[in-house]
Amino acid sequence: MKYQVKPLPPFNLPVLHTVGKPLRKVDAMGKAVGATVYAGDYSMLQMLHGKVFRSKQSSARITRLDVSKARALPGVACVITGFDVPNARLVSDMPGQTGQKQRAGSDVPVLASEQVRFYGEPIALIAAETLEIADKAMSLIEIDYEPLPGVYDPLEAMKPGAPVVTPPDNIVARWKIRKGNVESGFEQADLIVENTFRVPYQEHAYLEPEAGVAWIDERGVITIRVSTQVIEHFRTIARAVGVPQNKIRILGTMVGGGFGGKEDITTEIYLALLTKHTARPVKIVYTREESFLAHSKRHPYVIKHRTGVKKNGLITASKIEMISDSGAYPYLSAYVLLYTTVMAPGPYRIDNVQVDAISVATNNPYTSAFRGFGGPQACFAYEQQMDDIARQLGLDPLEVRKVNYLRTGDCTATGQVIESAAWLEETATRAMAALGEQTIDYGSVKIGQGFASYFQSYGRITWLHDTSQSWVGIELDGTVTVRAGVPDLGAGQANSLCQIAAEVLGVPLERVTIYCTDSALTPLSGTSTATRQLYMSGNATLTAATTVRNVLLSRASKHFEEDMEALDIVDSKVFIKSDPSKTLDLVDLVRMCASEGMHLSNLALFKAPFTDPINPETGQGQVWPDFTFGSFAVEVAVDTETGEVTILKAAACHDIGRAINWAAAEGQIIGGGMQGLGYGLMENLIVKEGVIKTPSLSEYLIPTSMDYPDIQAIILESGTGLGPFGAKGIGEPSVTPAAPAVASAIANAIGVSIPEIPITPEKVLAALDQAQATVMK
Amino acid sequence: MQSEIELYRPQNLAEALTLLAQYGPDGKPMAGGTNIVVELRDGHHNCKSLVDLSRLKELRGINLEDGYIVIGGGTTITELIDHPLICMHAGILKEAAQLFANPLVRNRATVAGNLVDASPAADTAPPLLALKAEVQLMNRAASRWMKLEDFITGVRKTNLQPGELMFAIRWPVPSDRSAGAYTKVGLRKADAISVLSAAVMVELDDAGLCKQAIIALGAVAPKPFRAHEAEALLLGKVLEPELIAEAARLAAETTRPIDDIRGTAAYRKRVTAVTVRRLLTRAVEVLK
Amino acid sequence: MKPQMITLHINGRTHFVALNPNLTLLVALRDLGYTDVKCGCEKGDCGACAVFLNGVAVNSCLVLAWQADEAEILTAAGLGTSEHPHPLQTAFSDAGAIQCGYCTPGMIISAKSLLDHKPHPTEAEIRDAISGNLCRCTGYAQIIQAVESAAEKMAAEGPAVFGGAGGEG
Repeated sequence: MKYQVKPLPPFNLPVLHTVGKPLRKVDAMGKAVGATVYAGDYSMLQMLHGKVFRSKQSSARITRLDVSKARALPGVACVITGFDVPNARLVSDMPGQTGQKQRAGSDVPVLASEQVRFYGEPIALIAAETLEIADKAMSLIEIDYEPLPGVYDPLEAMKPGAPVVTPPDNIVARWKIRKGNVESGFEQADLIVENTFRVPYQEHAYLEPEAGVAWIDERGVITIRVSTQVIEHFRTIARAVGVPQNKIRILGTMVGGGFGGKEDITTEIYLALLTKHTARPVKIVYTREESFLAHSKRHPYVIKHRTGVKKNGLITASKIEMISDSGAYPYLSAYVLLYTTVMAPGPYRIDNVQVDAISVATNNPYTSAFRGFGGPQACFAYEQQMDDIARQLGLDPLEVRKVNYLRTGDCTATGQVIESAAWLEETATRAMAALGEQTIDYGSVKIGQGFASYFQSYGRITWLHDTSQSWVGIELDGTVTVRAGVPDLGAGQANSLCQIAAEVLGVPLERVTIYCTDSALTPLSGTSTATRQLYMSGNATLTAATTVRNVLLSRASKHFEEDMEALDIVDSKVFIKSDPSKTLDLVDLVRMCASEGMHLSNLALFKAPFTDPINPETGQGQVWPDFTFGSFAVEVAVDTETGEVTILKAAACHDIGRAINWAAAEGQIIGGGMQGLGYGLMENLIVKEGVIKTPSLSEYLIPTSMDYPDIQAIILESGTGLGPFGAKGIGEPSVTPAAPAVASAIANAIGVSIPEIPITPEKVLAALDQAQATVMK
Repeated sequence: MQSEIELYRPQNLAEALTLLAQYGPDGKPMAGGTNIVVELRDGHHNCKSLVDLSRLKELRGINLEDGYIVIGGGTTITELIDHPLICMHAGILKEAAQLFANPLVRNRATVAGNLVDASPAADTAPPLLALKAEVQLMNRAASRWMKLEDFITGVRKTNLQPGELMFAIRWPVPSDRSAGAYTKVGLRKADAISVLSAAVMVELDDAGLCKQAIIALGAVAPKPFRAHEAEALLLGKVLEPELIAEAARLAAETTRPIDDIRGTAAYRKRVTAVTVRRLLTRAVEVLK
Repeated sequence: MKPQMITLHINGRTHFVALNPNLTLLVALRDLGYTDVKCGCEKGDCGACAVFLNGVAVNSCLVLAWQADEAEILTAAGLGTSEHPHPLQTAFSDAGAIQCGYCTPGMIISAKSLLDHKPHPTEAEIRDAISGNLCRCTGYAQIIQAVESAAEKMAAEGPAVFGGAGGEG
């Protein structure tokens, strides 16, 4: 397929000095020389080692739990069970945030004492002088289970009489969209296309297993140093532990990979309980196998599409049903379901939409946030559906999409107006063009090219009333300090705020230092989730820095006897734009301001749009602040005798609004894309009767450097985002289109589409065999 | 939970053999440790005493002796990759080494360790079987040579007796009229446990007929093995595509794979037939 | 099990430590404070724990500390500091090759091992050299660029200039 790449509409983004450049991030060198300290790298005097004793049953009653021998082992400081802390309950479905707005479901016992609902559920905590003693104590805990019937399929869990995992009926969440009239839409259609798609679990597989160290001080304040995406969890932790909210302090460390897996509470409550009970510092580090069991997974879905189309490809009606596996506890299932529901029809303009979505509890591993948060699952289904529509109509895949692509000013399925640029055709054509001429088939190897387009929100659900704070100040020597609660997951969350402050205050990036991720001492910036940090904290930082800049320039305008607008600051020098030889050192200006009592710092609060929840019957209303749009293209070689798929070329084109750090944006696009390719081809979490059969990195495979070629990152900047300098977000969007793109390319290569990922060699052969059998009939 | 063990570090081979004799069935040799250390961590290791061979120079070395390539049991997988003797006379072993695990593991893992561990998917076994390798087992009193084919007896079971270590591995230098081919099928292009690993060696006589063909398969049976029936089919014949395809099908029929997390038995059989056909074809091409 | 004294030469410093025989070099190094050596899996699956052991790059989680008695060990932190970084550390920092940074120390060890043997590696050789180091953040592209750019810099400056603080090959 050769597509014409049209020039982009002219857009004049202002020239910036620091923002946009591929500068060395403020955290890079520390990590390069191994000086950066991660949560598991901390040790304290008198520190105990903590361990979590976990269930080895997926569904059972605990009939006997005897920890006496473990408690009696010399060197064991304490053993805590659910009987010791009966009120310790975790609010699993409250997304930690700057303010609480709405609950979606039920609580989780911190330590199970009567019943276990998933394999790996925590039952007891141990703290001991050494890890060896803690391990030995684990083996001394005696437990008897009475296995209970379990349910491992959401469809089964919905049937009357199914074992109840989440009372009363295992239904954890439902969402609906009713827009227009699908029945009349189907009547208008020339063709109706129906397909069912299946997407699996995905494991975050961050390189850093969960870890933390906690201690209690003379005031009873419990400080928890932990690898987390959310420091606002201190409220939930306080409640579970039974202490006041202002006595829990979270020191978030540099996170060794999050992707949503460290969005829920991980080790914090265990650490807090153990340190409270022993009055000594406690450290917990999960093993890799434990990490697999302990944290959430991406929701598996079954998504059924029924689409009515005209001969020219115009979609007249879209009816979608979906069911997701929430696992043993709700966590964020309701919100993930919402994302999949709203994104279900894809970035297409459809007048008649009906979506019915349900999330169901089972005794499987619990599911929660994972980069894309339901968007990648929706995208796999809607893009594969579009490809099938194209095939059945005999139309080119891009032509079919062009007829339907959302444009600026159109509405989504929930009636939200797209206000920013929606560069779908622009990104699809560029991504495909980057693949170049299609490689020629050879022997039993067939080549194919394919692409997928997507839209993915950035910023949180608007009825959660999200806010973020950032403090910016300039010191007497002209260096700049930023204080913000922002957790840095490696995507450059902290660095971006520094680059923004550097830009606005006209100083080199090296002169900016950020103090972050301390729930007691840094202004709360909200979660590092939902592709919100650049948008929210970036804007808060922009506002705070601009306020300080205005104070400085107001004084400078008196000095130069010029209007503020006539002045600028670059490289720590203030100057008149029309006559740059007239300068004033920033340091001197700062001293002037300080001696005159002018305030050289600012704490800014940025608010996302605050809306009301969407209508529960129709799903109509605004859901997010805005969307990122883009496309991903792949060329594959499929060995039709072995089923092996090799990616020959890959390209990802996204309109990110504005890049703050060019290299970091590329890194997100490539890294996220690779995670999506892994999701599409090799990441296979095998779960049987609730037990993960692949709980290690040699069994659950993620891509190595040998597996896929470089993903070419093509960055477009429309400048129409709501973030600082017109930025959108890319953290999650980067993963969303990759799996459907590779599925599309495989279908193009072998002439058969495979509606289920990961597309392993066996699935390819099975599809080829079935196609042969059909031909022969 | 970590296993409790005793670790002994002999300074030389004689000391090592004495220690192994002393501990008998309670003692095991260990070199790179890339399997054993993981077993220790998981509490799966079943012996009390480990004798560390990782520093014994007597177990290293790759030499040509009397028409045989002889490698010390302690030869690391990395050492196989660039050594001129291996490049020249055991291309299939070099290829297997290049695809073995990953470079960090290759720097420690030893050939003897891989064979003694005797995983059904041991990646050095198919090429060594195809090269008609023998292994030298040594205890304090004596040493004995044994065909590799006979050394591995089942899943993680070998003929290594208490008190013994694998001192060396050797194979006859292949004739000029022979060529080999190797491949590994895995679910990922590096660091993957094999779904199938296969090696062939083909030797032609002056008339261009097959003088010997060896088809060695790993990960598709309780132990790595030679597909003798398929090999016999090719003996004395012109290696034409139809014959090669039939031998490949026969080789696949003799596999005894299982369903596991990496794939189904059916897939393994199917991919064996395809792979053996391709390897034989490739080897024959080289000989043209 | 009885602990025994062993000697470890790490990044140019000598340590005498009493350890049980079943402890890995990874645990020994981290307990001594060399926390730049990361623990990702303890099975040799991820490469985060890579160090030089007598000049050879290995997974420290697969070596028993006793086996490393008297050995020269070099960790990523031994290659350079923020004030005086190794060219690989500079290149990684500047190429966008570091996101969460958890794979970085191990990755740099593997990269240095490659450049020690092949000062002008091809892209394929770089990919192979780091194939035992999993990265979940970057997708490897910028890491490969960093190794290429460090190779150029190191070749220009001459061989054996950048050795780091301990013995290496």
